Amino acid sequence: MTETIDIGIVIDAISIIVIAYLLTWVITFVLTRFSERVGIYRVTVKMVIPLLKFSIYGVAFYYILRDVFALTTTESIAFSGLFGAAIGFGLKDLFADIIGGIVITLEKPYQIGDKITMGDYYGEVQDIGLRATKFVTPGDTLITAPNYMVFTQAVASANAGNPEMMVVIDLFIDSDSHADLAMKILREAVVTSKYVYVSRKRPVAILLKDFPFYRRIRSKAYVNDLRYEFEFESDVTERAWDEFARKGIGAPKVNVLSESAAGNRNARSS
Amino acid sequence: MGLYKIMNDSKQISAELVGFQEELASIQTAIADFESGRKLNIAVMAEPFAGRTALLDAIEKMNPQKVTRLSFSSIVKNKITLPESPKRIILIDDCQFLYTRKTGGFDVLDDFLELVSPSNYLFITSWNLYSWKYLDEVMNIGRYFPIQVSLSKFTAAEIKESILSKYKPDEIKFVEDVEFEKEKIIEVAKYPLALKLMKKSIPVNIPFLKINFDSIKFILRREEKVAIEDIIFEKILQVSNGNPGVAQVVWQKSLEYPVIKPGRIKEFTFNIDLDYTEAFVLSTILSMKSIKKEELAEIAEYEHTEEILFRLTK
Repeated sequence: MTETIDIGIVIDAISIIVIAYLLTWVITFVLTRFSERVGIYRVTVKMVIPLLKFSIYGVAFYYILRDVFALTTTESIAFSGLFGAAIGFGLKDLFADIIGGIVITLEKPYQIGDKITMGDYYGEVQDIGLRATKFVTPGDTLITAPNYMVFTQAVASANAGNPEMMVVIDLFIDSDSHADLAMKILREAVVTSKYVYVSRKRPVAILLKDFPFYRRIRSKAYVNDLRYEFEFESDVTERAWDEFARKGIGAPKVNVLSESAAGNRNARSS
Repeated sequence: MGLYKIMNDSKQISAELVGFQEELASIQTAIADFESGRKLNIAVMAEPFAGRTALLDAIEKMNPQKVTRLSFSSIVKNKITLPESPKRIILIDDCQFLYTRKTGGFDVLDDFLELVSPSNYLFITSWNLYSWKYLDEVMNIGRYFPIQVSLSKFTAAEIKESILSKYKPDEIKFVEDVEFEKEKIIEVAKYPLALKLMKKSIPVNIPFLKINFDSIKFILRREEKVAIEDIIFEKILQVSNGNPGVAQVVWQKSLEYPVIKPGRIKEFTFNIDLDYTEAFVLSTILSMKSIKKEELAEIAEYEHTEEILFRLTK
């Protein structure tokens, strides 16, 4: 007996795919909205989205094969062969992307909402899809990276699933300036920022380093919500410099020697 | 004889204070330890209106010969000096006014902490809970105050006792109201949501099943034959979350003197999406209890704090 694939079966299969797509869209929309209302649990809620997406598409795929096409054992083996050939010929990249997506979902090298560096790009992960991960750079450029890249190159996640993220802020001051006072001011500018996150596990560190013509004061502190990374940096820098100005702490002096001074210097040294 | 009188007075004052008996006992123990040569400064912390001042009042009354009291009502701008007094226990209320959340805003607190550690005085300080948590994370001030007393929330019985202590017996009439009984256990409510489509915000009300836990409790407790006044104070407890100051406000708003009905006690509802600056302004107000508008604008570094205050209070 030969079974045929009629138009009804095709419509059923398409309907299931459309339903799965709509379902993932609705779940993504609802969970994204909900995540904005749960404060510090925002990233945790968003973590569920890719897991649900893959589960829904997996169930849809299984249902199409089992109930709609109702494959027998022989047909299943034949289908596997065809599927293998398809992967070998042209769909291997697509298949690698899907496997990459599953690995990303289970291993969580990064999650939706994380700030990651992948290749030459840095940005916030907006979506982990079946085939690709989408993230937006600080310049509002949407980057679409195939999921298989997780196998071929290192991905750096700045916050590893946490809503808070470390931000390093460097200020450069004149070598003659009072470094202790400048460090105190920078520390206060950091801990009083509305964007800061401070706890025993996430302390603020202020570090000083001397260079030949200037001193670098570096703060290492956590921003409360990684989406405010640049606002935090800007807020701290502005308020620290305002206070530096009030306390007489200056920017590094420009150390450019005039031609004659440089000539005299060379003559002396020779 | 004199000691016996003081002990009796202490018991009377302790009995007058509603709640906080454990907290009071631990502070009195620390005072006794101080007198025997062991000094451990104390920090009392609680949410705004949770009864810190009442507790400090009780301590002051129980130790009138030993205690000097300082209170701040606004942000302190100048270095504080200790009063010249033979009394060696210093009570300081509202210590959150010793700092301002801005660059250069910790100098007064730094000076105060320098004063606290080496001196021969025992410091019993009270702090707004949110300010304390912030300062403890940022400055680790907990190490200056080894005894930390966090005020417990009131129970329904304590709220009842504290509120009714202001009235004569039987002055208030507790009345069951039909309106409250008629509230449905489950009803379809609408959750307001702003959908952003085509760059336009479209208000949508999403229906959901709302379970009315108050009505369920009311029905269950009615079967237990619990007095209506207990149901009323249970509801006040629920709305105030055990904060005596908030419970007092809820009572005042619900009372139709001399009658009070459970249906008049409404839960606070709010539907406001705060942006980052607004949330920061609100948290600053909560962490200071009271603050001048110009100080708030200075901390938030935002010129339009008036607008935010308008939105928060509407």
